[in-house]
Amino acid sequence: MNPIMNMLSGKGNNNIMMQALGAMMRGESPQQFLQNLAGSMPQLRGLNLNDLKGTAEALCKKNNVNMEQLAGQIQEFANSNK
Amino acid sequence: MNETSFGGEWIFAFLIIAVIFGWGGNGFNGNNAALAGYATTQDVTNTVNAAVASQNAQNILLSSANNNYETARLIDSQSMLMSNQNNTNLLTAVNGFNALSQNIASGFSTVNQNIADLGYKLDSCCCSIKTMMLENRLQDTQIALQNQQNIAVNQEQSQYLLSVLGSWQPKAAAAAAGA
Repeated sequence: MNPIMNMLSGKGNNNIMMQALGAMMRGESPQQFLQNLAGSMPQLRGLNLNDLKGTAEALCKKNNVNMEQLAGQIQEFANSNK
Repeated sequence: MNETSFGGEWIFAFLIIAVIFGWGGNGFNGNNAALAGYATTQDVTNTVNAAVASQNAQNILLSSANNNYETARLIDSQSMLMSNQNNTNLLTAVNGFNALSQNIASGFSTVNQNIADLGYKLDSCCCSIKTMMLENRLQDTQIALQNQQNIAVNQEQSQYLLSVLGSWQPKAAAAAAGA
């Protein structure tokens, strides 16, 4: 099972992607969601939440990830879970 | 990138989450390296199905719990009924035993009274027999005494007659043989 599936099925990261979708549907701000999530996820601490776009780009670059393609997959995931 | 279609900055939040928690697999798969390690639509569908299955399982568990509760309640109710019936049966049995004990006690009382009466009668009978024996003994003694008196009178009369007729021979038979 791939890492995203691990998240979606609640293994390891307690279904973070679904939690994020729920927060988005409720109209919460992504900064507040990530701030709350950082309370229990040390990996999120230290991120610059004032510039989410810049932070995402930096993380993708650092991990050699094609951000456009990954964003497309995430959008597909979100659309299929509306 | 169309930011507005994904609720403004939310897409970046998802990207951050995906990179931090979703990356780090064992390299890339197939020809589409950028998609390696990420969920497909089918994966998500399966996950949703799994969530539905989980909800169904929860419903089944809830139903099972309700059934268990109802079963336990019925068992408790039935146990109460059985307990009450057992109490009634025990009470009936105890009452029966009490009545039986009273009857036995009453019977023993009568038996004891009869035994006492019998003892009294036996004692009275013995007393009568003893009295009769003593009376008989007294009568025998009186008869013996009368006989002795008669013998004495007869001896005295015999001695007188012999003295009138001749000499008195204490051993008349021996004297006659010697003569």
